[in-house]
Amino acid sequence: MSNARVWKWGVLVLAVAMVFSLGCAKKQTVTSEAPAPSAAAAGKESPAGVKSEAIKSEAAPGAGTKVAAAEAAAGMAATEEKASLFQDIRFDFDKSFIRDDAKPTLAKVAEYMKKNAGAKLSIEGHCDERGTSEYNMALGDRRADSARKYLASLGVSGGALSTVSFGKEKPLDPGHNEEAWAKNRRAHFVLK
Amino acid sequence: MTGRGCAALLIALAVVLSPVTGSAIFYIDINAPGGKRMPVAIPAFVVESGDRKLSEDFPKVIAGDLAMTALFEVVPSDAYLERIVPGHFADRPLSFPDWKMIGAEAVVIGKVEARGDQIAVEMRLYDSTLGRMMAGRRYTGPPHRFRKMAHKFANEILYAFTGVRGIFDTEVAFSATPEKGRGKEIYVVGLDGGDLRKVTENRSYNLFPRWSPDGDSLAYTSYRTGVPVIYLRNLQDGSERAVVQFGNTKSPGCFSPDGNSLYASVSVKGDTDIYRVRFNNSSYEKVVEGWGIEISPSVSPDGRKMAFVSSRSGSPQVYVKEIGSSGDRRISHAGSYSTSPSWSPAGDRIAFTSMTGGKFSIYTVRPDGNGQQLLASGDGDCADPSYSPDGRYVVYTFQKKGYSVLKIISADGRWGKTLFSGFSGVGSPAWSPRNK
Repeated sequence: MSNARVWKWGVLVLAVAMVFSLGCAKKQTVTSEAPAPSAAAAGKESPAGVKSEAIKSEAAPGAGTKVAAAEAAAGMAATEEKASLFQDIRFDFDKSFIRDDAKPTLAKVAEYMKKNAGAKLSIEGHCDERGTSEYNMALGDRRADSARKYLASLGVSGGALSTVSFGKEKPLDPGHNEEAWAKNRRAHFVLK
Repeated sequence: MTGRGCAALLIALAVVLSPVTGSAIFYIDINAPGGKRMPVAIPAFVVESGDRKLSEDFPKVIAGDLAMTALFEVVPSDAYLERIVPGHFADRPLSFPDWKMIGAEAVVIGKVEARGDQIAVEMRLYDSTLGRMMAGRRYTGPPHRFRKMAHKFANEILYAFTGVRGIFDTEVAFSATPEKGRGKEIYVVGLDGGDLRKVTENRSYNLFPRWSPDGDSLAYTSYRTGVPVIYLRNLQDGSERAVVQFGNTKSPGCFSPDGNSLYASVSVKGDTDIYRVRFNNSSYEKVVEGWGIEISPSVSPDGRKMAFVSSRSGSPQVYVKEIGSSGDRRISHAGSYSTSPSWSPAGDRIAFTSMTGGKFSIYTVRPDGNGQQLLASGDGDCADPSYSPDGRYVVYTFQKKGYSVLKIISADGRWGKTLFSGFSGVGSPAWSPRNK
C-alpha cells in the first residue's frame, strides 16, 4: 500500500473508532461519577492503576432506646394473646363497620364498663393475613376505633377506652382458609 | 514503518485515545435487551495468608453479583488452564492466550493477605483480548467484611464494561420473626443473602423499616413500650431516638430527599392521614388528608410529588399528587385492592401491589398513570415492592400459606432470584440508598 493510502485508511479507522466510542457513550442513560482510574496504554498494567480503599467494621447494632422495665414488659406482652371476659366481634373483609352480630357483645361490654366505674378497657383491632401489612395496621386501627365509638354511643366514658391496632401481626387462628380469616378480622377487648 | 504497521498504530491510538477525548470505551450497552453475554473467568483467589475458604468465597460473591445483570456469563472453573499465583500481582503477566482459548473475554483475579486482624485483598479485572487491566482495587478491612469488598469490586467490573455504577454493595432492610422467637425484629441483609445483621432486639413488634437518604439511619415502628412509636436508629453509631409519638397507629413512609423530614402515616382520632414530621424539632403538619385511610407515602426523587394509598373509593388504590397542592390522580388500574407504592429512584416508574384474580402481584406504572405493566406474580402473593437505588431492580415479599421469602426481580422482569428465606413473617423490605 502507498503511504498516502495507508494514511487515508488510518484516518478513516480513527474517525470510525471515535464516532463509535462517542456513540456508545450516548447510549448511557444512567449518569456515572468520575471515571475509574484508567489503566495505562495497551499492553502495560501498572500497580499504580490499583486504587486502595479501607473497609470499616459495621457499628455494633446498638441497644436501642432505653425503656423502663414495666414498659419493656408491656412491649413483649404485646405479642401475646391476652385473656378476655368478652367475645371478639368480627368484621367483613376490608371493612370496619359494626355488624349486627357484634351488637349483643358490645352491649355486654358497655354494661360491664358502666357497672365498673374505674375499669379501663383496651380495644385491639386485628386483620386477617390477606392484604399488605401497613394498610392492615390502619384497617385494624379503624376497627378498634369503630368499636370504641359504638361503646361511647352506648354511654361508656371515653376516658375508660383506649385502642391499639396489631394489623395482621397477631392472628387468633393460624389457618389459611376463610374460616380462620373470619376469626382474625376482629376486635378484642382486654381489661387493663 | 510498513503500511500494515501504520494501520495497526492508528487502530491502537483510536483505542487508547478515546478516554482522552472524554468518552471511555464501554463494551456493553447496559440497556440493550438480550444481547450476547460477556464471558468472564473468575479463578480461585490466591490466599497468601488467612482463611483458605476465601479463595472460593470471593469468586462466588462476584459471580452472583454479575449474574444479576444478565450481561455476563461466568466461564466454568474446570475449563481454566492457568493457575493464578502471587507473581501475577507483581510483574508476571497473565497468559492471555490461555484465557482467550477457553472463551474468557475478561478475567478477574484476586489475592488475599492477612495483616494482623485485617485482610488486604487486591482484585484486578483484565481484558484478555487487549491484554490490559481494566480495573484494579486493593481493599483493607476486617475479614468478616469480605463480602463488602467483593460487592464493591463487582461495582467496578460493571462500571468498566458499561460506564454505569453498580449497586451490588447496597442492602435490604426488612422485618421478620426471629427463629424460635415472637413478634418481629428488624434485619439488614446483603444482596447475596449474606452479611445478615439484626437491628432490633426487644421481642415486640418492630415493623416498616425505611432508610434515610444518606443510608446511615432507619426509621421504623416499634411496639416495644406496648404502644406504637416511630424511632430513628443510626446504624453507624447505634444511637436511637423516638421521632413520632403523637397519634395512635403509625408507620414511616419515606424521608424527604433532603433528609430533614419523615413522611409518616399516623392515625389521629381514628383517622389515618399522611404527615410530614421535621426531625429537628418534631413539629408536624398534615400533607394528605381524607375521610378514608390515607397511607404509605412514597416521594419522587426530586421530592415534589408523592404516591400514596387512599381508600376513599371504597377500597385502597394508589394516587399521585404534587406535594403542597390539592388534587391528585389515581394511577393504579389493576385490581380491586392496590397498595404499597414505591417510586423508582430513577423517577420514571412507580411499583405497587394489586390483588387480581384472588392473589397479589407487583405492577409498575408511569407517574402519569399510563403504561401499567405486570412485573412479578406467582402462585402466592407478591407484595411490598421496593426499588433499588438505580431503579433497575425491585425487592418484594412472596408469601404462600404462611411461608414467606424476599425475592428480587429486575425491572424488565427478565431476571430474578430469592434473596432471603428461613425466617417466618418476612415483610416490608426496603432497599438502601447507594453507599457514599
